[in-house]
Amino acid sequence: MSPLKFGHMTEFLFVAYFLVLIGTLIVKTPVIKGPWLFLLRAFFPNWKFFHAVGHVPHLYARAATQQPSGELLWSEWCLIYPRRTRRLGHWLHNPDTNLGLAQQNLVDHFWADLYDLPEGQDPRGLVTYAMVSRLVDQALHEQGLGFSHRQFELRMVLDGRTDTVDTQVMMTSPVVAC
Amino acid sequence: MLSAMWIAIRTTEIVFAWSLSIQTLEYLRMGKATADDALWSWALQRADIPNAFVRAVLDVLFKPRVHQWHLLMRLLAAGGLAVQGASLPVIGFLFLGNLLILIRWRGAFNGGSDFMTLVVLTGLLISQVLAAFGRPELGWQAAFWYIAIQAITSYFMSGSVKLLRREWRNGSAMTIFLNGAIYGPLSHTHLLRKSWLALLGSWGFIVWEILFPFSLLDPRLATLFCAVAALFHFLVFWFFGLNRFFWAWLCAFPAIIWCSAQFSTRFIGV
Repeated sequence: MSPLKFGHMTEFLFVAYFLVLIGTLIVKTPVIKGPWLFLLRAFFPNWKFFHAVGHVPHLYARAATQQPSGELLWSEWCLIYPRRTRRLGHWLHNPDTNLGLAQQNLVDHFWADLYDLPEGQDPRGLVTYAMVSRLVDQALHEQGLGFSHRQFELRMVLDGRTDTVDTQVMMTSPVVAC
Repeated sequence: MLSAMWIAIRTTEIVFAWSLSIQTLEYLRMGKATADDALWSWALQRADIPNAFVRAVLDVLFKPRVHQWHLLMRLLAAGGLAVQGASLPVIGFLFLGNLLILIRWRGAFNGGSDFMTLVVLTGLLISQVLAAFGRPELGWQAAFWYIAIQAITSYFMSGSVKLLRREWRNGSAMTIFLNGAIYGPLSHTHLLRKSWLALLGSWGFIVWEILFPFSLLDPRLATLFCAVAALFHFLVFWFFGLNRFFWAWLCAFPAIIWCSAQFSTRFIGV
């Protein structure tokens, strides 16, 4: 058997590298978590970007005005989801759309934080809970709803090609006076 | 005649400076969203920082006025990179500043574009650190290989992940993701609602992404793969609004093409 030449070795390493990468997709490894890892996660590639179709967190909110009788008159639940108008100029400068995308990422992180929260622990201590509360206030104000109370819900929504296939409520906030 | 390496270096520096400038000008427009009473208030986010000393330092650095100054200096540094080329102080400042900006946005502002911006910045930092030790050519070789391997791996893995998912193989994932995009759902008559076209598009991107490592076999092939990548990133901008993604990934193309030329001549003798 002839020994591997340098050139062959390079090709071998090259193929081996991509085989190891495929192996990482098949073999499940434990997820390492930590606050600094979260804050510096841009160092690690996210290859599973837009990969799986499944339940996606959606934020819903409703507003209420208090009647003279003390009763709360609630609006319908409305979806808080960024929608923008496309322009070619956004290719060069797109702060508003990028803020909308960051807002949706925040909702995703809120879902992840709730998912990781130990049983029975109050989610109101989460940074993402405080931020999502602000997002809800901001969105309800932008919709021109005068309100004295508000409430929000995190729902897990499964979309099909044309319609929503399934919705599950993951968390409903307490009613808060504003 | 200009050397291939010099062309790759200057192209990377100029495109990267352009990408950084686009990002920085957008951050400068977001002052209202990061104010104390706004959604992205540092007063709320500081609770994410586990260390009291670091939190105190960041409290100072993320004061609105200080942060604005940082962004303006970043813009100047990007201009310097485009005009004069990379240097250790400029790249060191941009690298540390980029980490600060990532922390200011809870770790990432724009996912894939943050990752690639950091990859290119790390590559540039490698080149400048080795240049400081008197090995500039080795530094740029290491930088280009670092950037190219990260980019090629990302395309390959992204394609492989899709290949393993049934909803990508049958084309339904593309329609579902497009319906959830920031510019609104596809119209009822949109071509991508036709399942055969969504299937074709899905498989087109899966095959192209998985075959991306073959771009190293020939620089002409690498140029072709990068041209398709540019079209792919433009479509991602067009449908999902991710404009930074386009520019950040464009920065990796000179490194991919240069590495392909080096790999094909040195290792396989093309």
